[in-house]
Amino acid sequence: MLITKLKSREAIESLLGGTCFILNCHGCKELSFPVAEAEALEAELAAAGKVTGILTTDYVCNPENLQLRLEAHKNEIEEADAVLVLSCGVGVQTVAECFPEKKVLAGCDTYRLPGTQGVTPLEVDCGQCGECYLNLTGGICPITACSKSLLNGQCGGAKNGKCEVDPEMDCGWERIYRRLEALGRLDLLKVPTQLRNYSTDDEVYKQNG
Amino acid sequence: MENYTKYKLKTPEELSEVLAGADHLFVIACNKCFKEFESVEETDCEEFLKIAQEQGKTVTGSACIDFLCNKLQTEKKLAALIPEGTENVVVLSCGLGVQTVADLLPTQVFAACNTLNFRGHHGMALTKKACDACAQCYLNLTGGICPIVDCSKSLLNGQCGGAKNGKCEVDPNRDCAWEKIYRRLEKQGRLEEFLSHPVELRDYSKVDHKVISDYVKEVREARFDGYYGGVHPAERKALAENAPLCRFPEPETVVIPLSQHTGKPAEPVVSVGDSVKVGQLLGKADGYISASVHSSVSGTVVAIEPRLHPVSGKPSPAVVIRSDGKDTLDESVTPRGTLESLTPDDLYNIVRDSGIVGMGGATFPTAVKLKPGKPIDAVLLNGCECEPLITADHKVLLQYADEIIFGLQAILKAVDAKRGVIVIEDNKPDAIALMQEKTEGLENIEVAAARTKYPQGAEKMLIKRVLGRQVPSGGLPADVGAVVCNVSTAKAISDAIQLGMPLIERVVSVTGERIKNPGNFIVKIGTNVRDLIEYCGGITADNAIVKIGGPMMGLVQSDLDVPILKGANGVIAVDPDPTQEMPCIKCGRCVDVCPMELTPLYFAKYADEGNFEGMRDRNVMDCIECKSCEYICSSKIPLLSKIRAGKAAVRGMK
Repeated sequence: MLITKLKSREAIESLLGGTCFILNCHGCKELSFPVAEAEALEAELAAAGKVTGILTTDYVCNPENLQLRLEAHKNEIEEADAVLVLSCGVGVQTVAECFPEKKVLAGCDTYRLPGTQGVTPLEVDCGQCGECYLNLTGGICPITACSKSLLNGQCGGAKNGKCEVDPEMDCGWERIYRRLEALGRLDLLKVPTQLRNYSTDDEVYKQNG
Repeated sequence: MENYTKYKLKTPEELSEVLAGADHLFVIACNKCFKEFESVEETDCEEFLKIAQEQGKTVTGSACIDFLCNKLQTEKKLAALIPEGTENVVVLSCGLGVQTVADLLPTQVFAACNTLNFRGHHGMALTKKACDACAQCYLNLTGGICPIVDCSKSLLNGQCGGAKNGKCEVDPNRDCAWEKIYRRLEKQGRLEEFLSHPVELRDYSKVDHKVISDYVKEVREARFDGYYGGVHPAERKALAENAPLCRFPEPETVVIPLSQHTGKPAEPVVSVGDSVKVGQLLGKADGYISASVHSSVSGTVVAIEPRLHPVSGKPSPAVVIRSDGKDTLDESVTPRGTLESLTPDDLYNIVRDSGIVGMGGATFPTAVKLKPGKPIDAVLLNGCECEPLITADHKVLLQYADEIIFGLQAILKAVDAKRGVIVIEDNKPDAIALMQEKTEGLENIEVAAARTKYPQGAEKMLIKRVLGRQVPSGGLPADVGAVVCNVSTAKAISDAIQLGMPLIERVVSVTGERIKNPGNFIVKIGTNVRDLIEYCGGITADNAIVKIGGPMMGLVQSDLDVPILKGANGVIAVDPDPTQEMPCIKCGRCVDVCPMELTPLYFAKYADEGNFEGMRDRNVMDCIECKSCEYICSSKIPLLSKIRAGKAAVRGMK
């Protein structure tokens, strides 16, 4: 799940030489889209005579429907020196594929959010490690709940139950201990030391048939 | 077929180790997301049950659940799911589903799968990783080819030197990303800019835990604010918001359909050739759920015949009147007395005789709401106007604040309720301030500002948001002690009592990107929509779509020679959407936004299969047709028309 934030005004201005066509993607707006900032930027650029056209649409990452929608704006895009895309990195790359000879600019930075489904990010995260440890940890993921992704217990740096890396984050391993205590499964802490297999994506796929 | 595998069942050996000593298992399997929605259930569950049997385990039951990581919905399902005698719960899903269930249950939860490093899940990129979300997009420097994802070493500053014949040294099946970048920039004539760019460094702190967790908190709060689901479409209200409220010029002819409401059409009481005056009864309510219609002009009845109806799209009996332009009032239009002097029954009769219906668009006869037959403690006046573009209720709030409050007092008296709440979305601060000022000192009326979220104006959402009560499936607001009326309806009730004027006109926004001069008008019922649009300078594009109502719930009009009805809050002209329907990819967005907590993706699938029993079993009749699912659908599936077809079929089953 991805979210977008507008790049700084200076960064965008330094990218734009001449005129541009602006493409806003509202597909993931329920998660995030800098609506007000984008509108302000567009108004400013338009006032400076730098905008040949604006299309506010959704799911720019869908190449077939993107083509259909761009049809009505062909001339405006033709006329512009660049296409400024306000979307996640997938959207920018999809537009860049449509116009390999045109300067396609990314106006946003993309962040990753926990969760994959729907438009509501999750409070829990999965590192997709390929060797689920949740059975040993009472259902709290050591890869994502511990800022060091430790597999074999606390690092020793936590203070008052808070992580030393981010004092606002609860220590993942303390949470695991408390949960196991509540479940009466502290015995799980006696399992042998765990090692993580850092195989590449492809190797994991192959290992799993 | 592409491989959408996200997790893999652990091997029997691994499982035997994991489940050592555990027995009496209940199995919960996720139906997976981001896959082609052809089969509903996954095969892993059966596979696991077989392994469990081989290992001599007792299984107390199993369930396959959609979007297991949707905590709110999973929590509701879990309660009724797990039978007595279950000692352990085994979850088949990615790590998100396991953690969600582990958070919800007091017992130990076993993960029976390993989550694979799946690549898709952003946008339409189902099986390829297209963006690593590094939070410092480099695509500007690289011609739109991502160096983080496409270079196996995620290098930022050019080739590693290991590529051979344009292929990556790590994976010879892959093109060297930096060579691709170089070629594209060469084509674009940007090589000099590119090669003289300073060295780039990656800032790994940009995606730290704090940034993300704060953001997650904020988004979750907004998503669950007031009620489950909902969406935030672009408001586009600025187009008509600042246009003053004007009276539309006297129409030459009005067409007044006898059916402008939910329920039976009115019975005509005039004949062709009759002279009629403003406010005169044309058609009398026929039955309990019906509404009378009145003349909006003075003049002569020139026809009583079927005319194209903007809601049904078919010809429907209507009274056609040629105006004499004199606007002569009917003798019946006289004040009906003060609120103190009128009994609840008087109020019911006045509202019924005045042909008042829900003016927010639902057009349910208002009088019926005034005899709820159940104790009512709160009346909500709906001034949300959550539809994009439309500004009619906003204008009514600003122009007729006193009348709205009078109308609310009348409803409160009619249903014997102690508390009236005027609910306005926070995108109308001027209306909120005005109403607060006007209701100051009124003990029984309060103003509530609601954070903007569509479809807030739907009565069930409004009740949840303001009163925290849940209208039961198939139930009415009165079941939870509430009555909901639109602000324009309250104004009409005030006119009916204070002036004796039945519902013969309403405020309409004529707006949209393709209306030349958007505006807000007091329009007589029966006025021609084409005249209204012409008056606003016409439509600025040949291919524009005209709807009566807003962009979400409005009805598309192919013929503009239709009349304005009591429920028409807007006429809009907007650009068409050229997109094509594509297969469902089970992204789960419709489930996340459905305010009624339904599963729209199944409605689409079942409608296509003609499986209307399936739609009924998934409570399609609870759908309020807000179109949030269609709005958010990443595959552009016309969900609403499929849902409507299903509802019609289910109605026919009874």
